[in-house]
Amino acid sequence: MSIVQALLWVFSWLAFAYFIVYGVCQITFTIIAWRTLNRYRHAAAFTPLDEVYASPFTPPVSIVLPAYNEEAGVVASVHSLLDLRYPRHEVVVVNDGSTDGTIHRLREAFDLVPVRAALRTRIPTAPVRGAFVSRTHPNLRLLDKENGGKADALNAGINASAHAYVCAIDADAVLEQDSLLRIILPFVDDPDLVAAAGGIVRVANGAVIESGRLVDFRLPAGRIARFQILEYYRAFLIGRLGFDSANAVLIISGAFGLFKREIVEAVGGYALGTVGEDAELVARLQGHLREQGEPFRIRFIPNPVCWTEAPADVRTLSRQRRRWQRGLGETLWRHRRQICNPRAGAFGLFTLPYFLVFELLGAVIEALGIPVVLIAWAIGALSVSFFLWFLAVSVLLAVIVSLSALLLEEYADRRYERGRDMARLVVCALTENLGYTQLTAYFRCCGFVDLLRGRHDWGVMTRQGLEPPAEVPLPQRRARA
Amino acid sequence: MTPALALTALVFLAVALVLLVTLAIRRIVLARRGRRYAEAVRRVRPLAIRLLEGEPLARAELPPGDQTVLADVLGRYARQLTGSDEARVADYFRGSDALARSLRELGARRAWRRASAAYRLGDMGCEAAAPALLAALDDGHRMVRGAAARSLGRLKHADAAQPIVEALVSGRVPNGVAGEALVELGPVAVPQLHALAGHSSFRLRATAVALLGLVGDSADSPLAVRCLGDPSAEVRAAAAGALARIGGPAAEPALCAALDDRIHFVRAEAATALGAIGSRAPLPRLLEIARGDRFRPARAAAQAVARISPVALAAAAEAPDAGPHLHEAADLSAL
Repeated sequence: MSIVQALLWVFSWLAFAYFIVYGVCQITFTIIAWRTLNRYRHAAAFTPLDEVYASPFTPPVSIVLPAYNEEAGVVASVHSLLDLRYPRHEVVVVNDGSTDGTIHRLREAFDLVPVRAALRTRIPTAPVRGAFVSRTHPNLRLLDKENGGKADALNAGINASAHAYVCAIDADAVLEQDSLLRIILPFVDDPDLVAAAGGIVRVANGAVIESGRLVDFRLPAGRIARFQILEYYRAFLIGRLGFDSANAVLIISGAFGLFKREIVEAVGGYALGTVGEDAELVARLQGHLREQGEPFRIRFIPNPVCWTEAPADVRTLSRQRRRWQRGLGETLWRHRRQICNPRAGAFGLFTLPYFLVFELLGAVIEALGIPVVLIAWAIGALSVSFFLWFLAVSVLLAVIVSLSALLLEEYADRRYERGRDMARLVVCALTENLGYTQLTAYFRCCGFVDLLRGRHDWGVMTRQGLEPPAEVPLPQRRARA
Repeated sequence: MTPALALTALVFLAVALVLLVTLAIRRIVLARRGRRYAEAVRRVRPLAIRLLEGEPLARAELPPGDQTVLADVLGRYARQLTGSDEARVADYFRGSDALARSLRELGARRAWRRASAAYRLGDMGCEAAAPALLAALDDGHRMVRGAAARSLGRLKHADAAQPIVEALVSGRVPNGVAGEALVELGPVAVPQLHALAGHSSFRLRATAVALLGLVGDSADSPLAVRCLGDPSAEVRAAAAGALARIGGPAAEPALCAALDDRIHFVRAEAATALGAIGSRAPLPRLLEIARGDRFRPARAAAQAVARISPVALAAAAEAPDAGPHLHEAADLSAL
């Protein structure tokens, strides 16, 4: 056996073992998701949101919205947050040194006036230039600070928040009306146990949004966004429910997560210098809370919904996936001591190795598969029938997981009521492996290379906007007119 | 290896086809069911409104399917109702099939069915369901126990206070649900809360005092004042919060003393409580705390000063040593 043949033999067995373990994980996650979502679906009949709203035990929440050059949609976002159905909440917008008209639009839309503010200093941040309070909405505050990145802006918002629970959300995200009420439920039921919780994130492209509220659910016209709807279903409805069942959640999406402020402060807030600040914070919380020795839960809740805009073109998708891959790599590197560490519980023994092997290195293994097959075929070492059956099994497994995710969505939430929309999603599930999966694997490989090269920037996210920009002219433009 | 792979592929193909067919059937069935339910709700809603307005309604007039939907609609309305409207809903359900069916379902095999039944029984408002709900507090599943506790609270069943407190103590019912049920029960739960305030667990003592603040009155003030001397800071903070609501002659001096507590969040709660009471006597100490204490008590003290005397706050904020909290409170007060 030549060296090339030996290497091919090793790779093929590694790939086979990888596939088997991955398949077992996916099937297990799917079974857990079925059970859990079934429970949630039935529990919806006896989850009295009206009573949670009226309850004196429902704690007040501070929503932190970091905004950097978000003039197009920030006013609508803030309106939707102020209109959330929740008994007591404040909105803290952090203008992270925007170079556009973000701050002017906010000041005009909400009659924000400067105040002298007392801010905590437990988490260091870039200097805060000023604070504003709305005369029309007393529960709206704006911090204007020097640019320090998203994590720094979130930290400044946490420092300024008045309440013990902090909800971090993205500026382009749209929360459903009762999402805060739903996500607070585990904290109300077990206030000493639950430290953080994340809700489900859905793709808003194609949906009709008016005044910061989704009024009609439609599929986007573009295929790229449709494939992502399917990816989000798989990631949230299957993957995260599986990790939640073992109290081993790694990612609470930056788009929508609720935290006990005290615990976030205790670990030093969001980490600077990483593009995966959301997962990094959760990994640090997992480590910190396990060290404390007290029982705790970090939850993923599948029914509080946050809608967000997904990349609609290949270039933006590439930037996003490369950034996610780098963020994951940075998080795993920073918390490498927890990987396979029995003291880190299921989080260290299962979640981190899973993300390392299947999410970070998986893209490299998947991408290497193509040249390896070609080489094996060229030197006559490829069993064509074995390869074709293996390919069929792996594609069918992916199709099964995607169809399960669609079925779970149908059982649990059923947002896309038009039969045509569901048929299109089924087509996506059947065709995803004919190019899209390979494309994202390539982007993830590029992200892996970026990680090895030590790239740290965020890149530019091109957004089309979820609804037309608010009609609030900038003061200078009005003066010229 | 290849035959095994081929077999796996065929199994996977079959599973994928089953999922596809299930998806299609599920969609058709759900759409049809949803449409029928919506139509039924449209049909029975005027009847439900008539019933709530006091018109007599014979159950026999409705087909069995519509009776179930009417029960759902009335149950939803009942959550928003009190007094005679709520009593009319209870009258409708008394002796109805819906009540009998829900009581039967408390013994169902599936936990979610039992929990749904327990929840519906609370909305129906029939006192006759109370014994079955009390028994459901010992159900093997937490969500059934939670639904039963919530419904007992809605029924305002006086005998439920002790079992709910016991369920809270043993952790059989979530804190929030038990607390909410005891608040719904109101003053009848006070004796049990007094007893719970002497529990060895500081968390339960704190919960008891906080609940006393919600359902008690000034007669419970001495207990809350005593709790301001509890070894646990959580209990002291909860007692300060309770005194803000129930007051009482000894509340103010005790809260003033609590402004010197060694734990910062107890000082903060005491300051907030004094702000709610509104007496000017603690102003000097509150101003002192607002100027120089840690963040939380300083902010609470500044806000308390703003509530008690905006004029004193404005004057204090002009002083050179005012500090950020008084500045902030003064600016917010001026808006």
